[in-house]
Amino acid sequence: MNKLLLSAVFGLLLLAQQAWGAIGCTLSNPAQDLKYLFPEMTSYKEDAREFGKIKEGEKHFKNLKVRLGSDLDPVYETYETPYTVYTVFKGETVIGIVHGVNVPGKGGVIQVFVSADPTTGEIKRAFFQRIESPAAKQLKSKEFLAQFNGVTLADLYKHDYYKVADPKSEKDKLGNLQPPANLDEKGKPDYEASLRGIRKNLILLDLFVFEQKAEPFYQRAQESIAKFNAEAKTGEAEAKTEPKSEAKSE
Amino acid sequence: MRTPCALLSLGLLIAVGTLAAAEDPFADLERPKSDDPFADLEGAKPAEKKPNETPVKNRPIESKGFFEDNFTIKKEVYGAVTWSDHAAKPRDFYSRQSVGFEILKKFSTRSATVASFNVQGRLVRRDNFLDTPFDAEGRERDGFFFEYHNLYWDFYNVLNPVLGDAKGDHVGRFNFRLGRFYLPFGLNLQTDTHGSLLQLSNDRNFGFERDWYAGLWGSLNQDLNYDFYYLLGAGYDLSFKGQKGLVGTRVSLANKYSIEHGVEAGLAFLYGERLSWHALEHSASVERDSEGNKIVDTLRLGLDFRYTRTVPTGSLVFTNELSLGKDENDEVFTQLHQLGYLNRSRKFGFDVQYRRFFQNMILGAPSLGGAHAPASSKTDASVIGEFTWYFRNDLGNTNLHWIKVNVERETEYHQKRKLDTKLTVQYYRYW
Repeated sequence: MNKLLLSAVFGLLLLAQQAWGAIGCTLSNPAQDLKYLFPEMTSYKEDAREFGKIKEGEKHFKNLKVRLGSDLDPVYETYETPYTVYTVFKGETVIGIVHGVNVPGKGGVIQVFVSADPTTGEIKRAFFQRIESPAAKQLKSKEFLAQFNGVTLADLYKHDYYKVADPKSEKDKLGNLQPPANLDEKGKPDYEASLRGIRKNLILLDLFVFEQKAEPFYQRAQESIAKFNAEAKTGEAEAKTEPKSEAKSE
Repeated sequence: MRTPCALLSLGLLIAVGTLAAAEDPFADLERPKSDDPFADLEGAKPAEKKPNETPVKNRPIESKGFFEDNFTIKKEVYGAVTWSDHAAKPRDFYSRQSVGFEILKKFSTRSATVASFNVQGRLVRRDNFLDTPFDAEGRERDGFFFEYHNLYWDFYNVLNPVLGDAKGDHVGRFNFRLGRFYLPFGLNLQTDTHGSLLQLSNDRNFGFERDWYAGLWGSLNQDLNYDFYYLLGAGYDLSFKGQKGLVGTRVSLANKYSIEHGVEAGLAFLYGERLSWHALEHSASVERDSEGNKIVDTLRLGLDFRYTRTVPTGSLVFTNELSLGKDENDEVFTQLHQLGYLNRSRKFGFDVQYRRFFQNMILGAPSLGGAHAPASSKTDASVIGEFTWYFRNDLGNTNLHWIKVNVERETEYHQKRKLDTKLTVQYYRYW
């Protein structure tokens, strides 16, 4: 009998190698939280997502690091970390997507959630569920968080280009992003971590829900930055050679 | 005349275009006159959607198999050895080793998650059993024993069919739970003690921390959650042996207080009959009043409170559980206080717990010769210190890996004997 039980348990352990992961950065009280975000909602659905269980998961995991532009944290951002996507309905119509991520801050963990438009992927609202930071109060201010309303992942990728090539461009939705009022030096690392959290959140949402529709913007931004830098380098080189030729002509 | 003008215009256009191209690396794209490298990509906006970009709400729902759709299986390895001061020989240590699993499955319709199922099982090997707070149910399970822990269904928003248009106003309010889960008493409903050595009060207070039950749970309003169940009062076995069972209810602060202020708190009430050899063993008067069966009249009122505070190097957690009530005619008062620290790296932490269980046996208990039991014989109390080294310690308890060293020192015991000290070393992995 015991052998049978042992076999059953180890059989399940083997099965586990092929199973689908689940509970990630979840809302602490989904029904209440989602109702607060979408007062008109009638139901919601939870979906578990994990790199290990999606097609080309390893590639996407590496891409996450590249698109974030920073190393992934070994505690909060592992390959096995599960995520939960909440799809919010009014009747049979999707009215919102909500997703959260954990990022490491200086004071501890920061849980950044966004509710997004199900069609465009634009942020409808960004909020912190948990923020262990000396600057928590400032970062949670409505004025600061409201700056992300309407922002898409494509906007973040475009910002990468504009801040290098044309920092004053009116097309840069994030060009005028301001840190929270009264943010002191101690709070700056957590401000940066919060921005990183929002970016990471949108990158994952793009992958899990929006079929990577922002990916062309990432590619274009990188190509354009490279081209801009190359041209700038050429310009510098030409500027350096010009005085010499002038001297020769003299 | 028109032809030269047209040619001139065309030439100007080409020249302007060439100039634009020189400044704009994206000039070959959809909007050649723009200096915006992303101009051609902006077609993704709703007004200019590409044919293949279907809004999420109109996409067909993916059809996934049972094991691909919100199905989780976790594995677990648990090894613990305990040395007791009372052991006859140093080599007489208690060994508890197990492998286990946990399955969580969620069920959804096209537009709602409607149910979930959770089961935890372990194959445990026990040798030289010792009474310890982390293995209250293990006494009669020497050798190999397969045991289940959680085994329950949750059905969400069960009143939707009768709420009609009002169902949107009651999302999350009427959920139905059926099966075996933590008692709705104290902090256990919101604390996962499945793999930890430190436990909360219920094991010692009732003789079991989980029971079979059915009832409703959800949010009362923005500030309060509720749990309301009929419990079998059987503990481990799904069995009726004449007990009427228990009614249990708990009202607790909504989770937003935990998130925003680090505060969790609840008020609980439990009343009815339960099966408990544990209660009989601890009180001769309960044994007498239960009239030969293991059915114990039970009444408890409980208050619980937990406060988590971030400190510069990590976080501190203060945990408190108090309960007052009766087992048969015995008055019962239990308390548990715990202070925990977790380093910001989440790689190590320590806890100190004080637990005290007082039972006032009534006059004339036959086994005590008709006299009051002395105060020292009515109370079990101990102080427990624990250090944990974490290899993995995910926030959502999805991946855990640790070694714990736990020392329990009894400060009071309900019978006259030398107070014991126990040392436990545990290895645990859950992934």
